[in-house]
Amino acid sequence: MTDPTGLAAAASGRDPRVGLRAALALRRLAETLEALQVANARAQGWSWQDIAEALEVSKQAVHKKYAHLRGE
Amino acid sequence: MFERFTRPAREVVSTARKAAGEGRPYGDRAIGTEHLLVGLVDGGIGGIAHDALRAAGVDTAVVTAGIARHPSTGQGLSAADADALRSVGIDLDAVLARVEESFGPGALDSAAREAGRGSRGRRRASRGLTPAARKSLELALREAIRLRHTYIGTEHLLLGILRGADGTGAAILTEAGVDLDVLRGDIERRLREAA
Repeated sequence: MTDPTGLAAAASGRDPRVGLRAALALRRLAETLEALQVANARAQGWSWQDIAEALEVSKQAVHKKYAHLRGE
Repeated sequence: MFERFTRPAREVVSTARKAAGEGRPYGDRAIGTEHLLVGLVDGGIGGIAHDALRAAGVDTAVVTAGIARHPSTGQGLSAADADALRSVGIDLDAVLARVEESFGPGALDSAAREAGRGSRGRRRASRGLTPAARKSLELALREAIRLRHTYIGTEHLLLGILRGADGTGAAILTEAGVDLDVLRGDIERRLREAA
């Protein structure tokens, strides 16, 4: 699975395993970047409301997910 | 807690830390009970746990194969994630480089840990340990106290993994055909013989 050419070929095919694995990796990457940027926004004094609007989710959702961040 | 660890027990943790990093160059590299097993079966470290595991037919190959069968459920990004991202045209190394440019080395690491917490109550998890591994170390301490030992050795670490039973380490042992109760009995027998 480490041959990029082989992988690219597989991904453009119809094997659900490959496509789903890519979706999982994307979700992990998105979650990681989101956590990093929410912490960054809080450190820069953004309110939960500001962050929620930027992420297009409810203030409650973002607060519940990240209330444990430093300074809370 | 670590100050009561014997030298081999410390070596087990340090080997486990290395094993946790393998195949997971990105993000969270938390030590799981399966990584502690890697250290426990290591012939170079030896000890009662090593002997008991070998007698039960568990060696490095068995543990390594077990870890490969149990992909991590954490939020950290593994080498396999990097491959999968490449398949949809994303270069994880490039993402990592950009992030570290702005936030410094290891930024993605700690963000991965934050992402794995949230409302799931992992807030106080010891740094660098999965909840199951942290529990196994607490149980190891309890085993040492129960046996009236003043130190925590490799045998206590293994007993802790067996008591916890819900970690990946215990699952790998069960899948390898090991009866956890029999193994526990064998460790205690070896302890009595060594006393």
